[in-house]
Amino acid sequence: MVVDAGFIAIGAGIAVGLAGIGAGMGEQAIGAAAVGAMAEDEKFFGKGLLMTVIPESIAIFGLVVALILLFVFGAE
Amino acid sequence: MLKPTAMTKVVIAGTKDALEPTISVLHKLNVLHITDYIEENADFKIGRPLKSASKHSEHLLSLRTIASQLKVDEKEPSSKQSAQQLPSQIDEKIVNIHKEVSVRTDELRNLEFKVKEKKDLLTAVKPFTGLPLSLELYHGYETIKVYTGFITNDIEKKVSGITGNYEFFTGEHEKRKIFALFIPKIFEEQVQKLFQEEHSYVELKVPDLMGDPAVLLDELTKDIYALKEKETNIQSELEGLNKEYSEFILAADEYLSMETQKAEVPLRFATSANAFIIDGWVPTKKFEALGSELEKSSKGLIQLIKLEEEVKDEERPIELDNPALAKPFELLVETFAIPKYKEIDPALFLFFTYPLFYAIMLGDIGYGIIVTGMALVIRNKFKTGALNGLGMILLLSGMLSILLGVVYGEFFGFPVFNIEHEAGILGAGPAIGGLQLPVHRLGSVQQMLVVTLIIGILHILTGLILGFRNKVVEHDIKHAIYAKGSWIMILLGGVAAIAKLMPSMMSRNGVPSGDPIFIAGVILALAGIVLLIKGEGFISILEIPTILSNVLSYSRILAIGLSSAGIALAVNTLSMNLFIAPDHVWLGGGIVLALIGVVILFIGHLINLLLGILGPGLHSLRLQYVEFFTKFYEGGGMKYAPFGYNRKYTEE
Repeated sequence: MVVDAGFIAIGAGIAVGLAGIGAGMGEQAIGAAAVGAMAEDEKFFGKGLLMTVIPESIAIFGLVVALILLFVFGAE
Repeated sequence: MLKPTAMTKVVIAGTKDALEPTISVLHKLNVLHITDYIEENADFKIGRPLKSASKHSEHLLSLRTIASQLKVDEKEPSSKQSAQQLPSQIDEKIVNIHKEVSVRTDELRNLEFKVKEKKDLLTAVKPFTGLPLSLELYHGYETIKVYTGFITNDIEKKVSGITGNYEFFTGEHEKRKIFALFIPKIFEEQVQKLFQEEHSYVELKVPDLMGDPAVLLDELTKDIYALKEKETNIQSELEGLNKEYSEFILAADEYLSMETQKAEVPLRFATSANAFIIDGWVPTKKFEALGSELEKSSKGLIQLIKLEEEVKDEERPIELDNPALAKPFELLVETFAIPKYKEIDPALFLFFTYPLFYAIMLGDIGYGIIVTGMALVIRNKFKTGALNGLGMILLLSGMLSILLGVVYGEFFGFPVFNIEHEAGILGAGPAIGGLQLPVHRLGSVQQMLVVTLIIGILHILTGLILGFRNKVVEHDIKHAIYAKGSWIMILLGGVAAIAKLMPSMMSRNGVPSGDPIFIAGVILALAGIVLLIKGEGFISILEIPTILSNVLSYSRILAIGLSSAGIALAVNTLSMNLFIAPDHVWLGGGIVLALIGVVILFIGHLINLLLGILGPGLHSLRLQYVEFFTKFYEGGGMKYAPFGYNRKYTEE
C-alpha cells in the first residue's frame, strides 16, 4: 500500500537522522578532546582519530535499521 | 612473517683503549640495540662521553642556527658528500657561512626595525593631511594650548561659549571629521572639561616633525619603499646562500649528528677504571657478522658473548619482519602499538584486508585510476620513509578499487555496463566465472549487506582465532578456551541462530524451534556464554552485545560505498540531465547551461574523490583497529632501535 510505503520511508529517515544526530553528539566531545591532545603532542593523531570515529557505529546501526526497513519490510 | 625478528641478547666487553674502535664498528653495522646501563655500583659506573662530544655538539648547534636562519629544509640530495672529506672542511666552512649569514640576518633585523619605525610615523602623520597646517605649527607655544583629534559633533559652538579668542580648523580624514583647536592656556580647564564630556572625541597626538604633512607622507612612503627594497635584496641574497650551501649544511648536519651520537653513546655503557661493558640485543641472523667484525677491528681485545639464560621476553626489542609488499602496513600496526614478542604481528593480515575493504567501499574505475596515479606520484616524490609506505598502501588500494570498479561497472558514477534502466558505456556486461557483471551496488543493497556482514564475521573470526593462539602461547589452552574460545562459540552459534531466526520471523513463521541448525546454534552460543562467565566473571555478560555491534559495524563497507556511488550518481544526473543534455539532447539548453553542467560535474567529482580517499581510508583502518585488533592484539613491545644511522646525505 502506498501509505505503508510512506510510513516505512519516514521510519527509515528517522532512523538514519536520529542515529546521525546521536553519533554527532558523541563525536563532538571526543573530537574536541582529540584535537586538544594533538595540540599537546602530534603523536596522538592516530589514537585521537580512532577514538573520534568510535561513536559513529551508532550512525551505522541507524543505517542498517533503515536498510532493513526499506528493503525487507518495504519489499513486502 | 607474523612473528618479529628473532633477537639474541649479547654482552660486549673490552678494555678502554678499544672503546672508540668498538663504537665505530657498532655504529657502522647499525645492528646492536643497546640496553642502557643504569644501576651504578662500586666497580662499574656509567661511561663518560668521548672528548669530541662537546666540540661536535657546539658545531651542530651553530649549524642548526644557520639552517633555521637560511630556512634549509630536508630534501632529497642531488649527490652524496664524501664522509672522508667533510671533517677537514667542516670547521672552517661553518665559521664562514655563519659570518655570511649573520651579517645579513642582523642587517635584516635592523631594516625591519627601521621599517616599523617609519610605518608608525606614517600612521601618525596621515590624519594631519586633512588639516591645512604645517606640522611645526602645532607645538612650541607658551600661552596657547593645542587640541587635535577626531570628533563628530560640532564642538566649535561650545568653545565659542567659553571665549571668542580661539582658532579652529577642521578637515576630513578617511570620512572622519578631524579638527585642531588653538586656545589660550587660561581656558585650559574649561576646555578640558568640555572634551571629557564629549564622547565622540578621540585625541590625536601630533608627531614631532616639521613640514607639510602631505609632503612628509610622500617622503615616508618613499623611505619605506626603499627600505623594503633593501630587505628584498638581502632576502634574495639569503636565498642564494641557501641554494649554495644547503647541501653542505644537510650533509654536515648528518655527519655531526652521527659523530655526536657516537661520542655520547658511552653514557649508555658500564665502565670501570680500565674496561667497558655493553649490554644489548642483536638480530640472531646478524650475530656472527657482528662477532667477526669486532674481532677484525680489535685484534681480539673485545669479547662478544651470547647470553642464553635469564632472557625476559618483555626486554626483547621488536623488529617487525614482513615480506616487502606487506612492509608498509607495519606503519599502521606501529601507529596502534608495537606488538609484544610472542604476539602475532598483524601486518600481513592488514596487507590482505585493508586494500580489500578500501576497494569494496570506493569501487570505481575512474576514482581508482586517480588514486593509483596519486599513489605513484607520492612514491616517486618520497623514496623513503612513512610517506613512501603510505603511497604503497594507497597504490594497492587504488588498483584493487579499479578491479572492483569493473565488478560494479562504475566509471565516475556512470554505468559501464547496462543496468536496469540505463544503458552502459560498453553495452551489456560480460559474465565472468558465473558472475553476471555488473553487480550494481545501488540495485543490490540487500545482497551486498549480506556479503559485508559475512566479511565481518570472517574477519572477526580470524581475529578471535589469532587471539586464541596468543592466549595459548601467553598462558595455556584452558585460559585460551575461556577467553577466546567462548567468543568463537558465541559468534558461530549466534550467526547460525540468527541466520535461521531472521528469515523465519520475517515470513511470520515464529521461532524455528524445529530447525536443527537453529537449535545447534543456540546451544553453541549458550555454551560459549557459560564458558565466558566461568572464565571472566559475571560482568562479562555486558560485553556480549559488542560482538553483534562489531559484526554490524562491517555494514559500513556497504554504507560508505553507497554514499560515494550515490553522490557520484547525483552529480552525474544533475549535470547531464539538467545542463549538458536536457531531454537527451546534447547542448539542448545552450552552451552556457552546458558549461555550468561541466563545472558542477567537475567540482562534484572532486569533492566526492576527496571524500572517497578519506572515507574508505579511515573506515577501513577503523575496522582493523576497532573490530579486528581488539580481538587479539595488545601490543606494548619495545621497538628495535639499533645504534647507528641511516645515511642520506653522506657516504663513506
